[in-house]
Amino acid sequence: MDASEVEFLAEKETVKIIPNFSLDKIYLIGGDLGPFNPGLPVDVPVWLALNLKQRQKCRIVPPAWMDVDKLEEMRDLERKEDTFTPVPSPYYMELTKLLLNFASDNIPKADEIRTLVKDIWDTRIAKLRLSADSFISQLEAHAKLDNLTLMEINTIRAFLLDSLNCLYKLRSNQHSGSSKGQFADF
Amino acid sequence: MPCERKPMRYGHSEGHTEVCFDDSGKFIVTCGNDGDVRIWEGLDDDDPKFITVGEKAYSLALKNNKLVTASSNNTVQIHTFPDGDPDGILTRFTTNATHVTFNSSGSRVAAGSSDFMVKVVEVSDSSQQKTLRGHEAPVLSVTFDPKDDFLASASCDGNVVVWNIKEQSQLISWPLLQKTNDVSNAKSLCRLAWQPGTAKFLAVPVESKVQLYERGSWDHVSTLSDDLLTQLVNVVAWSPCGQFLAAGSVGGSLNVWEVSSKLCVERQKHEKGFTVCGLAWHPSGSQIAYTDTEGCLGLLDGLRTSTSNSTNTASKQATVTKPAKDYDALFDDDDDDRVMDEGQSDTNSPVKKPITGDDDDDDDFLMPATGRVRSRAILDDENSLDTGSLKLGQEKFGDDDDTAVASCPLPRWCPCKAFQPGSTPAHLTHRFMMWNSVGIVRDYNDEQDNAIDVEFHDTAVHHAMHLTNTLGHTMADLSQEAVLLACPGTDELASKLQCLHFSSWDTNKEWMVDLPQGEDVRALCLGQGWAAVATSALMIRVFSIGGVQREIFSLPGKVVCMVAHGEQLLIVYHRAPGFDGEQALGVQLLQFGRRKRQLIHGEPLPLSHRSYLSWLGFTAEGTPCYVDSEGAVRMLNRSVGNTWTPVCNTRETCKSKSDSYWVVGIHENPQQLRCIPCKGSRYPPTLPRPAVAILPFKLPLCQTSTEKGQMEEQYCRSLLFSNHFSFLSSSGYEIDEEAQSQSQKDQQELLMKMFALLFILHVFFQLSCKLEREFRCVELAELMTQKVVTLAIRYASRSRRMDLAQRLSVNPFAKEAVSPVKTNLMPITKGGRANPFKVLGSGKPTSASGQPRVTNILDNMTTSRKSFPLSGPAGKQNKNPVLKPLAPRPKTKTQSTLLQMSGTKASNKKTQQNTQPAADTQKQPEAPPPASPADNTENKRPKTGFQFWLEENRKSITADNPDLEETDVIKEAMGRFRKLSAEDRLSWTERAKTGDAADLKKRKRAEGGAEGAETEKGQAEADENSAKKKKSLDPSSKLSAFAFNKK
Repeated sequence: MDASEVEFLAEKETVKIIPNFSLDKIYLIGGDLGPFNPGLPVDVPVWLALNLKQRQKCRIVPPAWMDVDKLEEMRDLERKEDTFTPVPSPYYMELTKLLLNFASDNIPKADEIRTLVKDIWDTRIAKLRLSADSFISQLEAHAKLDNLTLMEINTIRAFLLDSLNCLYKLRSNQHSGSSKGQFADF
Repeated sequence: MPCERKPMRYGHSEGHTEVCFDDSGKFIVTCGNDGDVRIWEGLDDDDPKFITVGEKAYSLALKNNKLVTASSNNTVQIHTFPDGDPDGILTRFTTNATHVTFNSSGSRVAAGSSDFMVKVVEVSDSSQQKTLRGHEAPVLSVTFDPKDDFLASASCDGNVVVWNIKEQSQLISWPLLQKTNDVSNAKSLCRLAWQPGTAKFLAVPVESKVQLYERGSWDHVSTLSDDLLTQLVNVVAWSPCGQFLAAGSVGGSLNVWEVSSKLCVERQKHEKGFTVCGLAWHPSGSQIAYTDTEGCLGLLDGLRTSTSNSTNTASKQATVTKPAKDYDALFDDDDDDRVMDEGQSDTNSPVKKPITGDDDDDDDFLMPATGRVRSRAILDDENSLDTGSLKLGQEKFGDDDDTAVASCPLPRWCPCKAFQPGSTPAHLTHRFMMWNSVGIVRDYNDEQDNAIDVEFHDTAVHHAMHLTNTLGHTMADLSQEAVLLACPGTDELASKLQCLHFSSWDTNKEWMVDLPQGEDVRALCLGQGWAAVATSALMIRVFSIGGVQREIFSLPGKVVCMVAHGEQLLIVYHRAPGFDGEQALGVQLLQFGRRKRQLIHGEPLPLSHRSYLSWLGFTAEGTPCYVDSEGAVRMLNRSVGNTWTPVCNTRETCKSKSDSYWVVGIHENPQQLRCIPCKGSRYPPTLPRPAVAILPFKLPLCQTSTEKGQMEEQYCRSLLFSNHFSFLSSSGYEIDEEAQSQSQKDQQELLMKMFALLFILHVFFQLSCKLEREFRCVELAELMTQKVVTLAIRYASRSRRMDLAQRLSVNPFAKEAVSPVKTNLMPITKGGRANPFKVLGSGKPTSASGQPRVTNILDNMTTSRKSFPLSGPAGKQNKNPVLKPLAPRPKTKTQSTLLQMSGTKASNKKTQQNTQPAADTQKQPEAPPPASPADNTENKRPKTGFQFWLEENRKSITADNPDLEETDVIKEAMGRFRKLSAEDRLSWTERAKTGDAADLKKRKRAEGGAEGAETEKGQAEADENSAKKKKSLDPSSKLSAFAFNKK
């Protein structure tokens, strides 16, 4: 899966916007949206929120977790714990990226939030690499990782799977060096 | 001397704390273990200023705007007050100072330290120090002789020593205390206190008593004690007049003695029993602030520390009256206020017992005189009054108000100033000037910039505007047509009114009006096509939106608030001075437009106990409502003689006491209370931009936790919130042709409401039946319209309550004559009634002969339930039209149509949504094919397809579900029949027709109708498209579409 595909999935998350236009309920395959009343917050998917935002039709209300204090707390916890801590949203990275890129004027302390989320991300990715490393070096057959987000899994999937395949090949060559001839017989 | 103990509030982190008042008594200043000095503007200040003085602050003293603190870095430092700028270090010790104090003039500071020393330092020149050595343990406390000759100190070595400052020598030493090795181990802080003024006594807390030593002779002259005071006294403090002594103990007791009589005049207990470690009198003597070792701050208010025999010296009089004069001067600035404050509060005060004439005050009753002015002065600080006197309401947070009348010697009435609803206080640099349903007006008042931003919620109204605020506007209102701004007048400039009429079609979109000299704008509002301004001259001036002066009239009192909606103008003003913290407000509701009239003639505005108005406005539909500082939202109930009904209490949804909701708008349809949640404050900041939340309404009925209470609440609320329809339609008819179409639309909305109401009533009724309260059922039936009563009768008879059915059937006829409201409603429902049910007949007129086409399940039920005898009245009613087919009464017609409706209602009442009659009508064609008209002989009835089907399938149903009741069998059968394919059903109907061929001939006319209906129904089911087409032609589908739009 591509990162852009994960981002596409993230766009289905809902976010609160404050529209500056009025529109009745709209009926979409994915569900009904609206009604839109100027000045009244309404929940819409991120893709619509960004679209409206780009057309200057709304203000985006940042999700509750997108707050410097909360993120700092989360970062500290993430750094303290050896395991992965629960994240505020399964798409925290994607949402941060999307919202900060397109609606940074609606999010207080956008830069700090960007840094904090990046910090959390880096910490988690470091943990992920570390665990992948120990997984391989200890020749484990399986491992369980909780609280990983799709994006995180996705970043390591290609590399980890390929390298495991390679390792497997190498190891099987090593083991069955003598029996290789048998295979050739078939 | 009953006084009021305010609830404690958190001030500092756990540990030793101290408290004092500033010289004017305006601020409470505390210090604590967290190293901060906090400056509170009264106990309810949610955002106290703080000065960080060190890691820990051990003690503080405040005089002449100098703040002296003993901090953990072993120094005694000075800060300016209230700015908090560091102003140098006064002295240093080798370890931390434990107590600092000023002398009476503020020229010297004494500090005791844990290094056994006491230092006396000149504030102006810190090099002039006197060191008093002699204690053999850390010094606990120090106090100056008011005449500056002596100094007393207490130490952990157990001695209380009086020093001669000049000679730096010990004068006398009393071994009174327990010996300890450190301040932290000392059982009592032993704060000494010297009587101010005469300086006659030195008060020394010794164990659970306070000993008084006489100056000069240094004899122990008396002991103040109280039987209830059993724990060690920690701190003592003299009242500013020197007649009272307050003491706080380790166990949390607070006692006040009158020294001359040695009587304990006041006993209070710390609410949690923590050790009181700081105690300070308000300069007026009416309040005591105290702190405990848990870092909390408390206040005793309403102390009456005056006696008839004045012992005040001349010098004291001078000092005490001086502040009083200051405050008088303060009031002189504002003429109106002064008139209200001084004149009326003096004459009307019921609580002021000992004092009457102002003249006497100066001589004999110093304390109350200053106290009264002062307390008003406290309330008059800038924070408090801009949005309607914040402090006033806060003062009684959660305490028991019953004692207040007796305890409060001061008339508390403080007229809340005029304010704009939806604005935040004017002293803020960034503030909302207006937040309403149209948009937001913000004011930025920095040093470099003074600007107003106008932003519209709906950008379709107008683009955002940015104006430079050169005139210094402080008030604003915003409507779909214009922005109205006003500034108060200054010495040179008159008060101005500026209007940006952006919806004007000509090029000049702005006009400005100067008010007459000396007349200030106090409140303003924008209606539709007009603007109104309330001025300080107690006048309301009405302008047209283009700037033409239209009306002018006087107001009976000072305006508090004014709002407009469409053609209505709502004014709230001060009717009279309020007693005991209450506000006496009056309200006027005027209607302009073609027929000008006053709808509410200055009636009193009900407010919660001791609260003030915090928001006033109209719902989007035009019903006046307001919010008071207790969070109670009230709405005008036009149907009950313009009374005010509480519809919501925003406080109930608040998580903490200091949170609140800042209301910005109210909608009746849908029922929404739009407000901004504010954490720890009463109004929101401009940044980050607050988001609007929606609160539901809830009438404070009894027992809303029960199902019945909920139903009742829902019913009452829906009644209340549908009042505006009749209002709109009534005013609509009087005003305009255009408005008429609008009101017609509203009537349809009302019809929707009626549907909702029917549904509610139906469930309502069911509930009562369940509870076996037949009398209540009859009561409910009295609330019902004719249609629903019939339904109720049906319901009652079906649930085998014949007695009830009988009563119900008697009732409606009596009721019809009595209730004009119902008859009012009837025409409306009648007009609309035809619509939803025409779907059934698919355009075929209901038979004029009065042969009612009773097509519903209930009839089927009576046929299949032959064994069950239908009781007299209920049955008779149904049969009425059949018995006299030639004389049909309109009533029976309504009944028959109603029965159809009730039938479908009953069949799908679970799924039915009151807002979706569309769904309802859709289902109707699918409902069982019509049974024949209710006939007196059931044999003659032509059987429907369903009945045929039922006859054949009954056995299988009963076999499947042997325990089903008769009615349930029918239901089950109905369900199964519906599941059959359209063709199958059609064939059943065919069979029904052929089977009843003989009957058919006899009753050609009726049968023709039935047949037509049946075949049509079959077709409708077979061909959904055509059904839809038919429906779209039907007026009721318009209605349903409309309902759909209404979300």
